Amino acid sequence: MKFDRRLLINFDWVFLGVILLISAIGILNIYSASHNMYMRGEPFYTKQIYWLLVGLVLMIITFSVDYHTIIRYAYLIYLISIAFLFMVSLYGDITHGSQRWLVLWGFSFQPSELMKLVLIIVLARYFSDNAQGGYHLGNILILLAIVGVPFYMIARQPDLGTAMFLMILFFSFVVFVGVGWKLLVSFIAGGMTLTPLCWFILKDYQKERILTFLNPERDPLGTGYHIIQSIIAVGSGNIWGKGFLKGTQTQLKFLPEQQTDFAFSVFAEEWGFVGALALIFIFFVLILLGLKIARDSRDLPGALLAFGVTMFVFWGIFINIGMVLGIFPVVGIPLPFFSYGGSSMVVLMMGAGLLMNVSMRRFILQS
Amino acid sequence: MLGNRNYLIGYDPGESRNKIRVFKWLVSCAFLLLIFRLGNLQVFRGDELRQRSEDNRIRVQEIKPLRGLIMDAYGEILVDNQPSFDISIIPEIAKDVELVKDKLADLCNWEEGTLLFETASQPSGKLFVPVRVAKNIGRYELAAVATNLLDLPGVVVDVVPVREYTYGKMMAHILGYVGEISAFEMEGDVFASYRAGDIIGKYGIEKYLKGPLRGKSGGQQVEVDAAGRRLDVLGKISSVPGHNVVLNIDADLQKICWDAFREQAGTAVVMDPRTGSVMAMVSRPSFDPNLFNRGISGEDWKKLTTNPLCPLQNRAISGQYPPGSTYKLIIAAAALEEGLITENTKILCDGTHQMGNRTFRCWKKEGHGTVDLHRAIVESCDVYFYNLGEMLGVERIAEYSRKFGLGSKTGISLPGEKAGLVPTREWKLKRFREPWQRGETTSLSIGQGFALVTPLQLLRAYCAVANGGILYKPHLIKKIETAEGKTVGEFSPEPESTIPISKENIDILNYALWGAVNEPHGTGWALKRAEKDVCGKTGTAQVVSLPEDEEEQKDEIQYRFRDHALFVCFAPYRDPEVAVVVVVEHGGHGGSVAAPIARRIVDGYFDLGQERHIR
Repeated sequence: MKFDRRLLINFDWVFLGVILLISAIGILNIYSASHNMYMRGEPFYTKQIYWLLVGLVLMIITFSVDYHTIIRYAYLIYLISIAFLFMVSLYGDITHGSQRWLVLWGFSFQPSELMKLVLIIVLARYFSDNAQGGYHLGNILILLAIVGVPFYMIARQPDLGTAMFLMILFFSFVVFVGVGWKLLVSFIAGGMTLTPLCWFILKDYQKERILTFLNPERDPLGTGYHIIQSIIAVGSGNIWGKGFLKGTQTQLKFLPEQQTDFAFSVFAEEWGFVGALALIFIFFVLILLGLKIARDSRDLPGALLAFGVTMFVFWGIFINIGMVLGIFPVVGIPLPFFSYGGSSMVVLMMGAGLLMNVSMRRFILQS
Repeated sequence: MLGNRNYLIGYDPGESRNKIRVFKWLVSCAFLLLIFRLGNLQVFRGDELRQRSEDNRIRVQEIKPLRGLIMDAYGEILVDNQPSFDISIIPEIAKDVELVKDKLADLCNWEEGTLLFETASQPSGKLFVPVRVAKNIGRYELAAVATNLLDLPGVVVDVVPVREYTYGKMMAHILGYVGEISAFEMEGDVFASYRAGDIIGKYGIEKYLKGPLRGKSGGQQVEVDAAGRRLDVLGKISSVPGHNVVLNIDADLQKICWDAFREQAGTAVVMDPRTGSVMAMVSRPSFDPNLFNRGISGEDWKKLTTNPLCPLQNRAISGQYPPGSTYKLIIAAAALEEGLITENTKILCDGTHQMGNRTFRCWKKEGHGTVDLHRAIVESCDVYFYNLGEMLGVERIAEYSRKFGLGSKTGISLPGEKAGLVPTREWKLKRFREPWQRGETTSLSIGQGFALVTPLQLLRAYCAVANGGILYKPHLIKKIETAEGKTVGEFSPEPESTIPISKENIDILNYALWGAVNEPHGTGWALKRAEKDVCGKTGTAQVVSLPEDEEEQKDEIQYRFRDHALFVCFAPYRDPEVAVVVVVEHGGHGGSVAAPIARRIVDGYFDLGQERHIR
C-alpha cells in the first residue's frame, strides 16, 4: 500500500489524546482500587498498561487498513466471530457460573466483547448496501438474524448484559438509518411484547438483580449490597473527594468489583464531584469527537462505522455510570477505556482505530 | 476502488449531518442526566452518604465494665466475677451459617438444636455483627473451638464475665441474682441507659445497688474492612469497674444461721441492737443464684416458681406472720406507759377469759393462777394479756405497734420488703365493710387475728427494747468503695425514732424477757446459758383458729394449717450486743421449735466472737 501523506496530515491527534488521557486516569484509578489487594502475579494496573499497549498496536493496524476493505470483508469477520462464540460454548472457561472466556494461543479473551465491534461493522455494511429502496420484510428478517444469532449465543453463556448491549447497538443503528416510523414502532412494540416473555427465560439470579435494582434495600447483603455500597462510595466523595488512595469504601473493599465494573465509584469517591464531573466531561468530549467524525464522513459506510463505534462507547459510558449511580440495574458493562479488562480495552482501541480510520480518509474520498 | 465509489453515489452528507445533530442532543441529555444524578449523590446527599461510609468503616464497640464485688463485714468476697465463654458467628464472613453451625456442633459433640441463633440480638441494617450461637460453653468445647478456629470462618469466641456466688443458696436472698435486661424492663425510664443484652441486678443487693455495682461502659472505635476484620483502634475509653459493696453481714454467722435450721422452712435474722446492723439473714428454702448467671433454664425456673414453699421469697422481709405471743411485749409496754397497770398489777388466770359470748382460753388449760406482769410475760399468760388488750383497745394497740415500727416497711436496703399489718377499726371497715368486734381486740392482744409482722420488723422492735428505746433502721450496707478501695460512701447507724417508753418501764420489760429464758417455768428455757444470759420471748402464731375439740389432734393436722413457731431474743442481758429472730413456718410451738434454733445461733455468735478474739 502506497503511503499517502494526507493520511498523516489528517490524523486525529486530539481524538487519540483524549483516549490516552482517559486510559491514563483509568490506570491510576485501577492502581488505587487494587494496590492493597493480595494477588499473585502482575498487579492489575501493570496488566492494564500492557493491554493498553496491545490495544495501541491493534489500533494502528485497524486504522492502517482502509475501512472500505474492512467493510468488504464484514461478513467474513462476522462469521469468524460467530465461530469464536460457538467455540466458547464448547470449550470456554467457566467463571462465576457463566461461560464467557476463550483461551487461544495462551491468551484468554471474551469473544462477546469482540462481537460488539463486529456487529457494528456488519451492520454498517448491511445498511450501506441497502440504503436505497427502503426496507421490507426480507431485509428485516435478515437483520434480525444478524443480531439474533450472537444475541442468543451470548445470552446463553449467560451474559445478559452484553447480549442486551448488542440489542441497544442495533436499535441505535435502526434509529440512525431511519428505517421509517412504522418499522420502528413495530420493532418497539414487538420488543415490548417480548419483554414479559424474557422474564421466563431469565435465570433466578438475573431476576433477583432486576428486582433488587428496583428496590436495593430488599436484599442489603446480597445483590443490593453492590448498589448500596456504590452509592455510598460515590456520595461520600462529596465535592472535593477523599483524595487519591484515600477512599475508605475502596481501600477497605466495601466496593465490589472495584477495578472493573465499579471503577467509576472508586474515582468518584476519591476525586469527588469535581473530579467525576471532569471525567464525565472528557467522556462527553470523546463522544462529540466521535459524532463529528461520523458527520464529516464522505460516505455512508464511514458514517455508519463512526456512528456505531461512538454509540458503542456512549452506551458503555451511560450504562456503566448509570449503574454505578444506581440509575440502572447491575449489569456487567465496563466503563470504556477506564475499567480494568483486557478484552474490553483491546476491542475499544480497535474501535477507536476504526474511528480514526474514517476520520483520516475523509479527504481522500473527496477527490 | 469500484465498491467505494458505489457508496459515494447517492450519499447525502446533509441528511447524516441532521441526524447526527439529533444524536448530539440526545447524548447531551444523557450526560446531563448522569451529572444531575452525580450532583444529587455527591452534593445534596453528600453529608448523609459520607456519614454512611464512616458507619461502614468505623464500628463502635462497647467495653463492658466488670461488676462490683460484694464483701462481708470482714472482707470476705461473697460475689466474684468469673470468665465465661460464648460463641458467636458473623454471618457475612461465615457465608454458609448452617455449615459452620454443623461443624461447631460436630466439634463439641452437641446435639442438633443445641445451637441457638439469636438473630433478634442483631441490630437491623448493621453488617458484620456477631450473632451469638452458644452461651457459657465448657472447657472441652472451648479447647475444641479455639484450636479449630481457622476452619470455622466467622466464628468468634467472646469472654463474658459472670457472677460467682461463693455461698450459693446460703446468701441468695441477700445478694440476689443478675440476668439479662428484659424487653419489659427496657421500656421503662429506669433503665434508659441500658441496652439490650446488658446484665442487670434482678434481686437482692444486686438489684438494690444496681447503679453502683454496674460501673461505666467504655468503648472503642475500631476501623474495619468489608470483611469485618479489625484494622486499627482509632480511639478507646476504658470501662470503669463497678463499685465494691461491703455488707454488715458476717459470712461465718450467716453459715451458722443456715446450719441452725434442719429442713424446715423459715427465717432467721441477726441484728446488733446497738446499731441496727444486720449481721445475718437467712431464708429457707432457698435457691442457687448461680443458676441465673447465663439465663436460667425454663425447667429450673419452673421448679423455683411452682415450688409451694416459694424459695425465691425472702421470708425475713417479705414473709408476714401473726406475731403470736411475741406481741405481748408491745401490749405490756403500752399498758405500762398508759398507766393502766403497774408492774405489780395482778390478774387471776383460771385458764379462760370471757368476752361477750365468746370464751378465750389461755394456752395453759388449768390456768396460771394469780400473776403479775413479770410472771405473765415469763410464762406467757394469755389471760393476763386479754385483759390488758381490752383495757387498751384496738386504737391504742395500733398506735403503740406503729411506734415500735410495725405496719410500715423498715427501709432495709433490699427490694421486695413488705409492710406487715397493724389492724384498726377504720382498716377493718374499709377492708371488710364490717365494724370491729370487741373479741377481735382480745385476739389481737396475744398477737393473733389480723396483725401481721415481718420477722425483721419484730426483731427491730425487740432491739429497741434491748438498747433502751432507739428504733434503728436495719443497717445492711456498711460501705461502698471503688475497685481501688477508695471509700465512696460509708453508712453509719440510722436511729429512726425513739419508742415512747420510759426507762423504768423498759427495764421492767427487759427483766421480764430475761425471766422468760432464765426463770423456772419460763417459755424460753431452751436458751438458758451459763454466762451471757439471753432475754427472749416465744411466740406461736396460729395459722387457723381450730375448734376446741380438735385441739387435741394437733399432730395430725395438715402441714399448712400448723402453727408458726417464733422466737425473738437478745443477749447478754446487760448491754445486749446481739439480737436474733427465728421463725419456723408451720413448726409448731415457738418454745420447742424456734427457740433451739435461736440457741444454736446465739451460741454460735458468742463462740465466733471468742474465736475472733483469740485470733
